[in-house]
Amino acid sequence: MHKGGTALEKFIITNNDKVYKKYKGKYKIVFLEKGSYTDVLNETRDYIHNGCKLITHPMAGSLKPNQTPYKSVIIGKTSEKTDYSSVILIENSLDAANKFLKHKSTPKWNEKILNDFKTVDLSLIENVIVNPMFNIY
Amino acid sequence: MTIRYCFCYKIEYIDRIEIEKEVVILKLELGKIKISDVQFGDKTEVVKGTLYVNKDEIIKLVLEDDRILSANVELARPGESVRIAPVKDVIEPRVKVSGSGAIFPGTINKVKEVGSGRTHALVGATVITCGRIVGFQEGVIDMSGPAAKYTPFSETNNVCIVIEPVEGLETHDYEAAGRMVGLRVAAYIGEAGRNVEPDEIVTYETKPLQEQVKQYPDLPKIGYIHMLQSQGLLHDTYYYGVDAKVMVPTFMYPTEIMDGAIISGNCVAPCDKVTTFHHLNNPVIEDLYKRHGVDLNFIGVVLTNENVFLADKERSSDMTAKLCEFLGLDGVIITEEGYGNPDTDLMMNCRKVSQKGIKVVLITDEFPGRDGKSQSLADATEEGDALVSCGNGNVIINFPPMEKVIGTLDFIETMIGGYEGSLKPDGSIEAELQIIIASTIANGYNKLSAKGY
Amino acid sequence: MDKIRVVHYINQFFANIGGEEKADIEPEVREGIVGPGLALQSGLGDNYEVVATVICGDTYFGGHIEEAKKTILNMIKPYKPDLFVAGPAFNAGRYGVACGTIAKAVEDELQIPVITGMYPENPGVDMFKKDLYIIETKISAADMRKAMPKVCKLAKKMINKEEILSPAEEGYIERGIRVNYFNERRGSERAVDLLLDKVAGRPYTTEYPMPVFDRVPPNPAIKDLSKIKLAVVTSGGIVPQGNPDRIESSSATKYGIYDITGLDSLNKDKFMTVHGGYDRAYVLENPNLVVPLDVLREMEKEGVIGELANYFVTTTGTGTSVGNAKAFGEEFSKKLVEDGVGAVILTST
Repeated sequence: MHKGGTALEKFIITNNDKVYKKYKGKYKIVFLEKGSYTDVLNETRDYIHNGCKLITHPMAGSLKPNQTPYKSVIIGKTSEKTDYSSVILIENSLDAANKFLKHKSTPKWNEKILNDFKTVDLSLIENVIVNPMFNIY
Repeated sequence: MTIRYCFCYKIEYIDRIEIEKEVVILKLELGKIKISDVQFGDKTEVVKGTLYVNKDEIIKLVLEDDRILSANVELARPGESVRIAPVKDVIEPRVKVSGSGAIFPGTINKVKEVGSGRTHALVGATVITCGRIVGFQEGVIDMSGPAAKYTPFSETNNVCIVIEPVEGLETHDYEAAGRMVGLRVAAYIGEAGRNVEPDEIVTYETKPLQEQVKQYPDLPKIGYIHMLQSQGLLHDTYYYGVDAKVMVPTFMYPTEIMDGAIISGNCVAPCDKVTTFHHLNNPVIEDLYKRHGVDLNFIGVVLTNENVFLADKERSSDMTAKLCEFLGLDGVIITEEGYGNPDTDLMMNCRKVSQKGIKVVLITDEFPGRDGKSQSLADATEEGDALVSCGNGNVIINFPPMEKVIGTLDFIETMIGGYEGSLKPDGSIEAELQIIIASTIANGYNKLSAKGY
Repeated sequence: MDKIRVVHYINQFFANIGGEEKADIEPEVREGIVGPGLALQSGLGDNYEVVATVICGDTYFGGHIEEAKKTILNMIKPYKPDLFVAGPAFNAGRYGVACGTIAKAVEDELQIPVITGMYPENPGVDMFKKDLYIIETKISAADMRKAMPKVCKLAKKMINKEEILSPAEEGYIERGIRVNYFNERRGSERAVDLLLDKVAGRPYTTEYPMPVFDRVPPNPAIKDLSKIKLAVVTSGGIVPQGNPDRIESSSATKYGIYDITGLDSLNKDKFMTVHGGYDRAYVLENPNLVVPLDVLREMEKEGVIGELANYFVTTTGTGTSVGNAKAFGEEFSKKLVEDGVGAVILTST
């Protein structure tokens, strides 16, 4: 795959096996197979503090954090220092997620519904990866 | 096949002749045919304010799409003990009587600019598509009882299309099929209003920029930034058939939206879903027109999107601010669709447009948690100092049982706003307000609001 | 009908025991009314009876929050109250925090209506407004005559389970709780009016005040740490044993600057923490957990940092008003700059 000179090395942090299966080998994937929605956000936060920036919005999708168990976030490795706007965005997202989970935890869905959640989550990521601009970021 | 091709060619040819005859003024006459009842009949027609629909013809039309296995048509009127679920979209039947283009251009009709001439609307009637799409993003409508007041569709006469997909149909395809079914049925029913004398005709007009500025030189120049949901599957909106996520911010004459230039392809959280009905009847556009020439000069609409890719957000908000500056606006109203990711677009647009020296008012709904104590929005900016609230979507609401259910209650507990134990054995429901279609819609259509206690 | 039983909480000052010099008295309970309890009783009327008054010194409470909470709850329980009133505390910071803390504890434990009153800038307001109804008072006790009737009026509504109206109507401090209602006009219409007011420069009111972020843009990164003089500033309440400057354990009104010349670490015999907002056990055992002198000295020797300032700056963060905190920072920053400090590590707890 052609990459522009300034393109960042990208990671997908996900707990969705559909995303993992589709992109393994093509992108570096941090696959949290048993991880929760907030585990993905926490992992993302750790990467951001270690010199990554957000490529996709961590709250993409209108599904509330206590509704869908799946979350995928794309981040890029910067050679620079901490990206503060990413820090603020991920912290806001964690706050929002915890706000929802505080009152009601994610239900135990059946397989069919889990599959639908995975499909929607994958769709959000797919749309970014096919974006022609994706490879220059 | 040959015949069909010739037919298409002919229409385009006629269109071209019409353009030459067309007067430059972009004026739309919206003829409102008031519908006070809906009934099944042998013929789909409007007689003295009653809409009669031919059930068989509608079912036949729906089944032309081979992705749909079966369909049923049911009617729901204001005050009835009826619950509709899971609702995908709501559409007002309209027909283009004169002027360029046809209703829903780029989706069920050819791409052709709309927004001028005459359009008839069956006001008080809707087409509602329901049936399981994915099982968690569609919403509920109660036609009576305490939950009815939260949705505008408890006050309309609804033709509900309940669809079932063929076995194994993939989610994207099913969403697309459901979307097209609703639009086609609405256009079919809208035809019934073509030759009916409207009860009221409202004329809307926005001229090309230079002329519009000259028309009311002393009034503040006001614009509207309409953010379209565009995150992906079940989160998409279309403008003349273009998926909003691959579009750059653009200018729209406000009348275009009244002819169906924008259609909803999303099932975001039910409460803040901007249905196709709400695009056709956009309240900000209506209310700006009411004051157009009185105390403001309504210049037009900037359409933008709410993408997932942060770089897209950067570009879209830059371009939105640039367009507003270019139009010489003094003030804008910005509306959003959804929660979380769109809050970031809302704040970026607010900040960048404000930095151009243009005054901004935001309209949004709130999700401060069930106790109302947490932050209402997922993002904030200090420029957002004038905001209109469309209510707290997390409040718990009790829905008494209804005598009739159109669709199914099987998915109540998995829908946004529902939870384990939401559905009681007697058919009553306890759920968050967000489960109700358009209950906290963030474009100011409703009177519901929230205040600090 | 049995009278509605009320327990009242006040501090040593309002109980006429004494001022700051008596602020460390331990909790005590007295039958019936004490001090402002008179105004409370008359405001509530004959159907209510103030059966007991709990008194506690502000300093004692701030220094022994968990202990005081437990003791006071145990004092209250035997009186089987139906209503609990604390204060009002006006602008007394530590008293406000105590009123808020104990009122919330009573609400959580006994599940009865609780109410208090404070001046909006009292640090207790920010800490407890989401949990409690806090009647807005003026700055000093001179307002008691006006404040107590408002406390009583709202308390009665709570007892009678009447609908509590908006902050403006009831006189309590906005709790930041978002409540739905139906406006007379739809949102888009209100938005047009709001916009025209804003464009014309007329006053306008938002329906949702954005959270205010007092963001401080970070300074550019330090180019070479090995050439810089570093200092530690903490809100973790680390002070020399005995707390010579009497820095408050919560709602601090002052900060201290303490010498560390020649020390390789903070010895627990010489340093302690007075912070009232966290479990101090580990820090009392090892104060370096909050002011990491031990590690910084090593880094100084290794040359990672150029030099360590020969003092650290300290205060207590818990309940301290933003106004006070800002003022501290503005003041001691000047000294840091004068002393050639090029970077600061802020530690909080």
